[in-house]
Amino acid sequence: MNPEDLKYHKEHTWVRVSGNRATVGITNFAQESLGDIVYIDLPELEDTVEANTELTEIESTKTTSSVISPISGIVTEVNEDLAESPEIINEDPYGKGWIAVLEVRDNSELDNLMDASEYEKYLEEEAKLK
Amino acid sequence: MQIAVIGAGPGGYVAAIKAAQLGASVTIVEDTEVGGTCLNRGCIPTKALIASAEALEKARNIHDFGIELNGNVIPDIQKILERKNRIVSIQVKGIRGLFKSWGIKILEGKGFIAGPKKIKVTLRDGGTEEVEADKVIIATGSRPAQIPTFPFDGEKILSSDDALNLNNIPESLLIVGAGVIGCEFAFIYRGFGSEVTMVEMMPRAVSTEDEEISAILEKELKKKKIKLMTDIKVEKIEMKENSVLAFLSDGKTIEAEKVLVSIGRALNSKNIGLENIGVKTGQRGEIIVNNKMETNVDGVYAVGDVTGGIMLAHVASKEGIIAAENALGGNAVINYDVVPAAIFTNPEIASVGLREKQAMERGYKIRVGRFQFRALGKAHAMGEISGLIKIIADEQSDRILGTHIIGPHASDLIHEAALAIEKGLTARDVAHTIHAHPTLSEGIMEAAEDVHNLAIHVPKK
Repeated sequence: MNPEDLKYHKEHTWVRVSGNRATVGITNFAQESLGDIVYIDLPELEDTVEANTELTEIESTKTTSSVISPISGIVTEVNEDLAESPEIINEDPYGKGWIAVLEVRDNSELDNLMDASEYEKYLEEEAKLK
Repeated sequence: MQIAVIGAGPGGYVAAIKAAQLGASVTIVEDTEVGGTCLNRGCIPTKALIASAEALEKARNIHDFGIELNGNVIPDIQKILERKNRIVSIQVKGIRGLFKSWGIKILEGKGFIAGPKKIKVTLRDGGTEEVEADKVIIATGSRPAQIPTFPFDGEKILSSDDALNLNNIPESLLIVGAGVIGCEFAFIYRGFGSEVTMVEMMPRAVSTEDEEISAILEKELKKKKIKLMTDIKVEKIEMKENSVLAFLSDGKTIEAEKVLVSIGRALNSKNIGLENIGVKTGQRGEIIVNNKMETNVDGVYAVGDVTGGIMLAHVASKEGIIAAENALGGNAVINYDVVPAAIFTNPEIASVGLREKQAMERGYKIRVGRFQFRALGKAHAMGEISGLIKIIADEQSDRILGTHIIGPHASDLIHEAALAIEKGLTARDVAHTIHAHPTLSEGIMEAAEDVHNLAIHVPKK
């Protein structure tokens, strides 16, 4: 159920790369763990983000949590629809619930990420540890 | 014993009452209105405006509570100001009533130290009066500090005093300084509907607070669409016909209908005759006092903002009590280790004791417990889920060193932590105390539990 064409970060974010455009969002597992999302602090356009650091913060009725960027780049687009309707992330985390588009410098960073089947295995192992 | 107090703000009026309670014959001199900045131009009127702004916001979002309003929700600024003025006058009367009951004489006019034990008062309604006193307590306070290149004009360049009495809600407001005062006014005027931009020289809003608290406040500012620019100075203001144009240090400009300058407070230590008896002042004009609130001149005490210390009403009051006790033969000393502070933003901020960074700088090995308001049923019921309680404890002794809260009723919640720190209690002491359900105070208990990763309503880490 996690789309095959995406790459996944262990902090439960995903990235879809086409050319030097990387669309970033949180995974279905992340949105389920967070519960009802009530606010997302949209990243600033033109901000430089490093992989494995906080892209932004997300708030649900249960908790607030960092969104960790799976890849480095410069923010070129943000999903403005989330400002008024952050629940879109719950409804469609891999589609309409995308968070930002980054302009990527180094596609080789994708090698550090998991594909869908690896991510699913990772989720199973995480569940066992708890 | 004759005691004269100059200034009837929260430092002076409390000193006067305490001195009277201890048997002194007291005269207090005030050149504007009893209650000082706190009651007339600070704490109380801002809280009255905040209550109106919050009522307005609740009305706008009343739908969330399952209530439909038929009609528009419109702030009537005249009525809001009338309400504020009424609240202030009730408190003023209250203080005057206390003075009367303790037989304290009020002289309404400007006090001036003419010589040892001699105060000359230029009365507001003409004439002068001289007061002889065995001991003098100076509590002349402070006033809004201005920027020399664009001083207050009361029309477009406003002080916090002016911002309390605007007859029209500005369409846009630029606030210079995102400290306590700037942030409170940002929420007030944003609530009333102004477009608000804050420009702050420091890297963050409310820079005296714990960094994590500033970060959460900044997010709340964003949610309310209050624009904050940090690390930036306003270099010049150009007056336009119906607005001001501010030139910023990053080369940008901002146009706004009005600008509020809230960069701090200037001390009222000039033109009060300190030099006539040789009272020593420091570089900022602050009256230098020791921990008994004594100045260098025998029998002369100073309390509150004019001493340049912690500029909070409740600190001034405590200093006033210490000064009065000592003036009447006591040997009391002030202790600033445990001073709770509150900022009435939305949500509120409150803190006591050490900040996280400060605790580490002092060489403590610390453990930090955190608890989010959104994990409390009560916060959800109230519809106010944003915020965090953060407790900093000494790893070795488990004693609470500091507590920082941003969230609903933070200003009331902080006192449990203040008492805990004052009495040297541990995080476990607080955690093991039963807290009533459903309350926001449960958050304090949970944060104290979280110091040891044992909060009940936090998932396993």
